[in-house]
Amino acid sequence: MSAFVASLPALSRRGLARHGFLAIIALCFIGFAVANPSFVGAANLVNILSGAVIPLVVGLGMTLVVALGAIDLSVGIALDFGSAFAIVILKDYGAPWYLAVLVGIAGGALVGLANAILIVRLRISPFLATLGTFFIGGSLQRIFTHGGGPISYRRLPPEYYDIAVGEVFGIPVRLLIATALLIAYFLLLERSTFGKKIHAVGLQSRAARGAGLPVGKLVAIGFVLAGATAAVGGLVASANLRMFTPLAGNAYLMDAITAVFIGASMHRDGRPNVLGTLTGVLFLSMVANGLNLMGLDFNLKDALSGLILVAALALSITQHRRRT
Amino acid sequence: MSAILAIGRPQLKSAFASVVPLAIFLALLGYFGLRAPGFLEPATLILILKQAIPTAVLGLGLSIVVIAGGDDVVAGGIDLSVPSIAVLSAAIIADQLANHGSAAVTAVALGFAAAIAAGAANALLVTRVGMTPLLATLATSTAYIGLSKVVTANRRIDLSDPLIVTLRDGSILGLPLGLAIATGLAVTAHFAVHRSRWGLRLQAVGGNRDAAEIAGLKVRRFLAQSFLIAGAFGGAASLFVLARGSGSTPGVAETLLMETVLATFLGAAFSPRRVVTVWGAVLGAILVSALSIGFGSVGVDVFWTGCIKGGLILIVVAASALARRSGT
Repeated sequence: MSAFVASLPALSRRGLARHGFLAIIALCFIGFAVANPSFVGAANLVNILSGAVIPLVVGLGMTLVVALGAIDLSVGIALDFGSAFAIVILKDYGAPWYLAVLVGIAGGALVGLANAILIVRLRISPFLATLGTFFIGGSLQRIFTHGGGPISYRRLPPEYYDIAVGEVFGIPVRLLIATALLIAYFLLLERSTFGKKIHAVGLQSRAARGAGLPVGKLVAIGFVLAGATAAVGGLVASANLRMFTPLAGNAYLMDAITAVFIGASMHRDGRPNVLGTLTGVLFLSMVANGLNLMGLDFNLKDALSGLILVAALALSITQHRRRT
Repeated sequence: MSAILAIGRPQLKSAFASVVPLAIFLALLGYFGLRAPGFLEPATLILILKQAIPTAVLGLGLSIVVIAGGDDVVAGGIDLSVPSIAVLSAAIIADQLANHGSAAVTAVALGFAAAIAAGAANALLVTRVGMTPLLATLATSTAYIGLSKVVTANRRIDLSDPLIVTLRDGSILGLPLGLAIATGLAVTAHFAVHRSRWGLRLQAVGGNRDAAEIAGLKVRRFLAQSFLIAGAFGGAASLFVLARGSGSTPGVAETLLMETVLATFLGAAFSPRRVVTVWGAVLGAILVSALSIGFGSVGVDVFWTGCIKGGLILIVVAASALARRSGT
């Protein structure tokens, strides 16, 4: 591997060290393509991207929270609330689609707000506060749905349904939504004063406070934004299935955390960052898709994806450390 | 205690607030006792303790990792893979006993070997490769759960092996056997971490890594040991998981993880310095189990229990956080 790497004069060694994970992604990509040529077909590539949309959206909010030095275990709940609020207002109140979108996002923001109050006002550590929201939010969904049955609504307004299945100039709307959020988060976290403040809080919260930053306010904004963003994932999920499935969001929690930390481990200073999270999400989606196409036993697939993840991370991080 | 003796208002408030978490729980247990006759009978109490064993044993492992790594969840020590190690080891033991006709000793040895190897893999990833514990153990837990599914083909395996039945129903000196063993483990862990030279150093590493390094402690060795020990506790817990479920059941890892994390970090609310402790994790596990059984016995709708549990955690932790703020 390293001999192959050294023979590419166009890439500086340092640059490559930082992008070791990208090289591993490329290797996995080639491996899957060899195992099944249809992996690289245009339709399947779109599949991989589509599969990454909801994890990416959830992961973006998580990136913001982890950049603040915190963690949010309740993003899945925010996603569910987004989906539930939107479907209920469409079904029971016949609201227009744009109102449903707003109300859904507000639902997610509400979860974030609850976290913000617990963390900033009541001084509960983010891990425990969001664990509490996780339990309460999950329970509320069960109470509301009398045990966890889905709420389906087949006659969605076409505009709402298009969130998941529509296309603009041949590009799926869900990809456009994800791209828009990606750009917004990139500008917010990596190219704005607000982002600088967020990272300052995450790196040295006391120093940030000493420098006069409104730490509590920034943390609160971070959690509300993360909740609202995860709710967008809920909108896509509910439009796609035309139903609200209780507790479905928790499936994205681990992937979101993993993607953010993959991204952080690729970063020069080990910081969570938007492009890193994107890479992490695409890697996870690619591995899931590639293993699916290999037609492996379902159980073996789970084990393999875990092992690939561990190996890829270990390789790229060792390389990173050796070169720097 | 000195806080109670002092007359100053802030100290009084602090002392009051630090008693609040335990008081809330005792009040609730009293309420269960009044509402559901039989709740405070020995049989129920023993049941509560028995149900708490797997979580408590996992909590022992997790608390040692947190103590060695510092309690900052994002950057410090955490091991999210302990429950999945237990599930993997349980899967191997169950598969060996039920499908390969292995002797109990062989089966348990294989399960434990896997648990230790899993702990070693975590240690390697964190101390040698340099991965954040959260990422490392999140990634390995996916792998361990996946491997356990491969072993059991994601099916339930019933066990009626004498070893598992004895662990479930046996008793020693009138005390259930499982309970006696778990108590032994907890006492050993407590003395190792809170009453020994090794434990003091372990806490020093977790308290301030740089200072520990300067003082000449081999920080990496302690971190590696903590993950190995957590793996070992995962292996030990696997036997109790098998005994509680009379076999290996797929899909228990996630619930175990949530309960273990909850018990361990809730335990911090009961320590005077609000830090994760070994006995705090055990107490946390017992209280979580008591609440589950208590709410069940007074007939609270099962959909509500998550809500009430979550609310209680938040109240307890908020009380202790506010106490810390007014105390300092």
